[in-house]
Amino acid sequence: MQDKNKLIGTPVSRIDGIAKVTGKAAYSTDYPVKNLAYAVLFKSTIAAGNIRSIDTATAEKAPGVLAVITHANAPKLNVDGGIRGGALLQSPEIEFYGQHIGMVVAETFEQARHATHLISVTYDKKEPKADFEKLAKEAVPSRDKEKADASRGDAKAALREATYKVEEVYGTPIEHHHPLEPHATIAEWNGDHVTLYNSSQIVNGAQSAAAKTLNIKPEQVRIVTPYIGGGFGSKGGQWANLVLTAVAAKQVNRPVKLALTRQQMVNSVGLRQRNYQKVSLAATKDGKLTALAHEITTHGAIKNEFIEPCGDCSKIMYDVPNSLITYRTVPMNVILPTYTRGPGKSTGSFALESAMDELAHTLKIDPIELRIRNEPERDPSNGKPWSSRTTVQCLRAGAAAFGWEKRKAEPRQNQQGNYLVGYGVACGTYPAHQRPTSAIVKLKRTGNDIMATVELAAADLGTGTYTILTQTAADALDLPLRNVKVVIGDSDLPPAAGAVGSVGASSYANAVNDACQKITDELLAKSGKQFYARPTAAQLMRSEKITDYQTRIDAKPLESAEEYSAHSFNANFAEVTVNRFTGMVRVNRFLAVTGAGTILNPKTARSQIIGGNIWGIGMALTEESVVDPRYGNFVTRSFADYHVPANLDIGDMDAIFIREDDQKANTLGVKGIGEVGIVGVAAAVANAIFNATGKRVRELPITPDKLL
Amino acid sequence: MRPFTYTRASDPSLAVRELAANPTAKFLAGGTNLIDLMKEDVERPSAVIDISALTLTEIKPIAAGTSKGGISIGGLGKNTDAANHPSIRQHYPLLTQAILAGASGQIRNMATNGGNLLQRTRCPYFYEVAMPCNKREPGSGCGALEGINRLHAIFGWSEKCVAVYPSDMAIALAALDAFVRVKRPNGEERSIPFTDFHRLPGDTPEQDTNLAHGELITAIDLPQNKFADRSYYLKVRDRASYAFALISVAAALEVTGNTIVQARIAMGGVSHKPWRALTAEKMLVGKEATAENFKRAADAEMAAAKPLEHNKFKVELGNRSIVLALQMAMNGGKA
Ligand SMILES: Cc1cc2nc3c(=O)[nH]c(=O)nc-3n(C[C@H](O)[C@H](O)[C@H](O)COP(=O)(O)OP(=O)(O)OC[C@H]3O[C@@H](n4cnc5c(N)ncnc54)[C@H](O)[C@@H]3O)c2cc1C
Repeated sequence: MQDKNKLIGTPVSRIDGIAKVTGKAAYSTDYPVKNLAYAVLFKSTIAAGNIRSIDTATAEKAPGVLAVITHANAPKLNVDGGIRGGALLQSPEIEFYGQHIGMVVAETFEQARHATHLISVTYDKKEPKADFEKLAKEAVPSRDKEKADASRGDAKAALREATYKVEEVYGTPIEHHHPLEPHATIAEWNGDHVTLYNSSQIVNGAQSAAAKTLNIKPEQVRIVTPYIGGGFGSKGGQWANLVLTAVAAKQVNRPVKLALTRQQMVNSVGLRQRNYQKVSLAATKDGKLTALAHEITTHGAIKNEFIEPCGDCSKIMYDVPNSLITYRTVPMNVILPTYTRGPGKSTGSFALESAMDELAHTLKIDPIELRIRNEPERDPSNGKPWSSRTTVQCLRAGAAAFGWEKRKAEPRQNQQGNYLVGYGVACGTYPAHQRPTSAIVKLKRTGNDIMATVELAAADLGTGTYTILTQTAADALDLPLRNVKVVIGDSDLPPAAGAVGSVGASSYANAVNDACQKITDELLAKSGKQFYARPTAAQLMRSEKITDYQTRIDAKPLESAEEYSAHSFNANFAEVTVNRFTGMVRVNRFLAVTGAGTILNPKTARSQIIGGNIWGIGMALTEESVVDPRYGNFVTRSFADYHVPANLDIGDMDAIFIREDDQKANTLGVKGIGEVGIVGVAAAVANAIFNATGKRVRELPITPDKLL
Repeated sequence: MRPFTYTRASDPSLAVRELAANPTAKFLAGGTNLIDLMKEDVERPSAVIDISALTLTEIKPIAAGTSKGGISIGGLGKNTDAANHPSIRQHYPLLTQAILAGASGQIRNMATNGGNLLQRTRCPYFYEVAMPCNKREPGSGCGALEGINRLHAIFGWSEKCVAVYPSDMAIALAALDAFVRVKRPNGEERSIPFTDFHRLPGDTPEQDTNLAHGELITAIDLPQNKFADRSYYLKVRDRASYAFALISVAAALEVTGNTIVQARIAMGGVSHKPWRALTAEKMLVGKEATAENFKRAADAEMAAAKPLEHNKFKVELGNRSIVLALQMAMNGGKA
């Protein structure tokens, strides 16, 4: 179907680009709601214990203050309604440092913030559990069945018998999503209905969580989120700010705006948890894997568990007869961990793909060759055939494009002045799923001009959803781009999958395509005529003189897709230079080669991949949220301390896509690219650093001190 | 942020008098540090006196006084303008490099030279008001002493405070033996040698400098020197830009033949003030400019370091950085 289409697969510039760069695109706090009051949250300064007293008297009398809301006077909410991370002001109990313990609502933001400084709180403190290094020993099996020990063959026995093996522990730190747009909400009640302008990656999920938590019906809640300033998983599940804004608005009987500060982001909207990952590999002398064990130790919040699936890559990456994947977890006084870009895969691949590099070094086999020797024909975890898998092509095309032959096999052999140069490679993968999504297509004819409007409760994280859906509908209806309008980001629209887990593009584009095919079928049937060639919807609107027509579809994944294992795959290549005096690392060049099915728009896709790569470089070199175990607080509270890569950290970036026609995964063959771009990146960088310096760093981030 | 009064000063003499009259008033220059700290509730001035309109922005030759023949840069000039001024680039490239190694283009466009010297520590315990910090709240304890102290001091700290001073510009100024010219509330001027401007924490870490309340920085004087061809500012940090130094070294050499006539080494990221590596400097004078001598000087300087739990790496990193900075200085900044 690729050949027939004109727009899918072409590098159309962002439809919403001009609105964004001219400031016309309204984000959550930009809505011109009248008569706004402002809420500012205040937070606990202990990590465990109970609030003994909160004195709000002075704050209540401060200029402009309309209300101070704490657990003592907050309305009763349903804490099991689907809001993640608690902190709903329902009890005096403190579960983590920086838990919301109240909010001030005032006429202005400044008045509200000032009043939060006038509140005094006393606590009954408990010793916080905040030292992962110590707590890791107490970790126990997960309560989640998905995280039960999974074994194939006998990995431990194979490891005992093997001559060639690698057994190492890899550590990854707590990270924060820190989207450029912090979480923010405007709540406006109209009778017993509330409209919540709130960045939400899952529009219907936010609606349902807000309704349940507020003890009202979903139809009483409207979520409006046409633009999202990044989320990376932190706006997938919803957090207390969403409903607390509604609570505040109800209390003061007028619309309320609440925006988190950057400093508040570290303990309000989840995090990527800290992991220890022990990876054990055994192989024959010629590099055939005989065992792979991936044993993960991590932590949850103090009451609730969340484990990112670090073992997922290890399940499917290599053809190995004996495999073991285990998870152990321990409760900690931190905010609930949550999905973070490439959940489990970005961190898991750091461990697995570093270990593969170590094995290649031990066996003196080129790391690309080692991977090719262990390429599985079928999904080793369930025996299903791949819908498509182009890992080997990714590796070969990448090696050629990157100049892999220039890599010195032995480490520390490439010195240029004060710098050591190294090359690294690592693979990655992420599952490809389509999720049920409904959509409405409306056609309107004015003379010969046909306008199409496509509506669905999809979300655009800033990645290009508007653009790819416009392309998809324009192709399916045979209309020019400018005659298609895409309306998303509103729970009043037909329900759609979330923009999470790399399901957005395939779920939305297939639904829109199906809806457009359906409207053409219906118009054809309505005409009662026979045509030699299938006419387009536009032609039918004209020939049948119809002025308005619409249809709705509830699109579902192909049933046959179940028979296949569908994943995107990549190969990442990094060239680093390391200052041999100071240990400062620079990634000079980075190339990601990805096989992800149909690439709807190579321009936005490239941005997605490069964006993921850059975060991966940050993960490798700079990003870390540091806890002081005595207090349980983060000492890295702003962008001055939490180091995302700056422009100067980024060298030449390039992305190549391997052509795949994968109609087994879904009708359009779209496998998704949002997550896979970060998977394998940190390992490629760490492996390049080893190649440059001979030093293997197994604890991220690789800051200069670790290379002295 | 707490309520405060705001006034705009049009004249330096009035500004100093106004400030001196109110012990909890603060000058506001570029605001890139003060406003952040007010938002965090760390600084709580009752009155803010905006001095950004004062015309103390000139960069000009010094005609008389201690630094005769040098260059004077206005206290309210912007960091960007100081870094890029042709005379600074030509005669004090070390200062240009140090300023450009700090913050970001946008911040340097706002930041003033006086404000830069008075920027406060980036210690996270200072920044978060719920944490103990003797600098912010005397008597409350030091959160970093036994806390997360990877970024903290290895020289000159006390039990009361282990914070480091964050400015890059000031490290170069310490190496260049600059003077800070200030106007006092009584209208008099005084000139403070740069190494006496900032303090070690001792028992009073709440005082960053020896500037008295009410004193206004009007200019920074740079004496003439012969370092321009052989100087280098090395900044080691956790990312390539927009991060404070783990270690920085401002190195400047005057060399005849291959013999070192004068050496200036100042370090950042190691102490509560710009740290002049006087031991290393002394060892270098009269010696050949060789890698071995650089290493010996670095060893001697770093022998006195007292690292904390998480910053032991700074001793080795400081040592290597001194050597590298001296080598780079000898090569005129080329690797
Ligand atoms: C994210 C970030 C990163 C940064 N990174 C770096 C870095 O890497 N390296 C670096 O060196 N700096 C860095 N900075 C700090 C920056 O250089 C300072 O904030 C800036 O130099 C302060 O100058 P200002 O004019 O804005 O000072 P203000 O904030 O206006 O004032 C600071 C203090 O000085 C006082 N003051 C100002 N002018 C005078 C005067 N003439 N006389 C007496 N008192 C005065 C004020 O009362 C106030 O107490 C960074 C800042 C930020 C926000």
